[in-house]
Amino acid sequence: MSAIAGFLASPIGRKVLMALTGLLLFLFLVTHLAANLLILIDAQAYNEYSHALISNPLIYIAEIGLLILFVAHLVSGIIIYNRGRAARISAYEEHRWAGGPSSKSVASTTMILTGAFFLIFVPLHVWTFKFGTYYDAGGGVRDLHRLVIEEFQNPLMVLFYVVGMAILGFHLWHGFGSAFESLGVTHSRTLRRVGNVTAVLMAGGFAIIPLVILLTGGLR
Amino acid sequence: METGTFTLNLRVWRQANGTADGQLVEYTARNVSPDMSFLELLDVVNDDLVKQGKDPIAFDSDCREGICGSCGMVISGVAHGPQRATTACQLFMRHFEDGDTVTVEPWRAKAFPIIKDLVVDRSAFDRIQAAGGYISVDTGGAVDANEMLIPKDSAERAMDAASCIGCGACVAACKNASAELFIGAKVTQFSLLPQGQPERNRRVLAMIEQSQSEGFGPCSNEGECEAVCPKEISVAHIQTLHREYTRASLRRIFGFS
Repeated sequence: MSAIAGFLASPIGRKVLMALTGLLLFLFLVTHLAANLLILIDAQAYNEYSHALISNPLIYIAEIGLLILFVAHLVSGIIIYNRGRAARISAYEEHRWAGGPSSKSVASTTMILTGAFFLIFVPLHVWTFKFGTYYDAGGGVRDLHRLVIEEFQNPLMVLFYVVGMAILGFHLWHGFGSAFESLGVTHSRTLRRVGNVTAVLMAGGFAIIPLVILLTGGLR
Repeated sequence: METGTFTLNLRVWRQANGTADGQLVEYTARNVSPDMSFLELLDVVNDDLVKQGKDPIAFDSDCREGICGSCGMVISGVAHGPQRATTACQLFMRHFEDGDTVTVEPWRAKAFPIIKDLVVDRSAFDRIQAAGGYISVDTGGAVDANEMLIPKDSAERAMDAASCIGCGACVAACKNASAELFIGAKVTQFSLLPQGQPERNRRVLAMIEQSQSEGFGPCSNEGECEAVCPKEISVAHIQTLHREYTRASLRRIFGFS
């Protein structure tokens, strides 16, 4: 047990934990996006899918698991950030990015901020939808689709979600490639590019839902 | 002004000792030849300072041919200056222009305390190396060359890793002052060779533990280290370090070593 604790408290173990929790959260987001796209395609299928999820008793275990991943990712992120700050006690008078082979970007320098945003976003998101108005679609199935359409008639709500997903994109822009590097998968330009494309697809995929609903009124 | 020479404005970090407050002091370097190295420029500035009875700028140097790793300073905001794959001693003044203002600072890291001006104490690297960056060889007659077969690919990759001169630019450039490129190079160098196998697990665990107690930070995978490395050590060595460390930790967790 102490060997496990020693690993997780080491600078590399923490990054491995960061990478694993990050990638698992990313996999959740992939399934979340795939399901959400049903909103634009088939209202009934979307409601039935969400009903199947929340009526399964295993949902509680999944939710606790997600919460643990989120908290572990957050806590190790804060510790890593603080250790990094503590390692440089005086700042450079003049400092420039080196460029060339470096992957340093606006995204990589703002990970702690883009990550912290989700500390606000996730509770608001869960509050708005999971604990939002309950509409009955008949047969004991919740009409979650109607709630989503109603919420995204508000341009401010849509703006919040589009900006939020752009922030998610920034986080993934660095986070996706960085996770594989932390796990020791050899660094490559290709991996970084895959990460960048993934970030754009994920952010764009999520952001398009509120935008389409606002512009077209959504499926009825 | 001599023909072909130019004038440079320098802002150099001056700090009397580790506990004193430091500050940037401005100097004007005249008659700078484009063929001078950056260290020779500092030599010329120091000559003037000595003639004026002032304290010359302290900086480290030894071989002045880019292989010893002694010199190191942040020039214009980049470790070893803006020229890629170059130590400060191999940075020539032809890369600068007449009237340029150039800021010169020491490596800044908690684990590299400033001794004076541009000189920092890099003995933390020595202690990391002493913690595990070695192999144990029995005494006795020297074995024949090629008795131990090493694949050419492994030998070349180990040689790439071994080209690290331990200058500390990676730490200076990293936002977290992480030493993982340095340690990664040392760990990779030994892990690829048969001579490095007996201490393989112990080495990586001990070197990382030492790095942590020296106060180096964690790696954020930005890759600034590779971009400033005068030997162009790839960040792939950091991924090797992470694999080696995770492997050694798992072996310890499951009681294999």
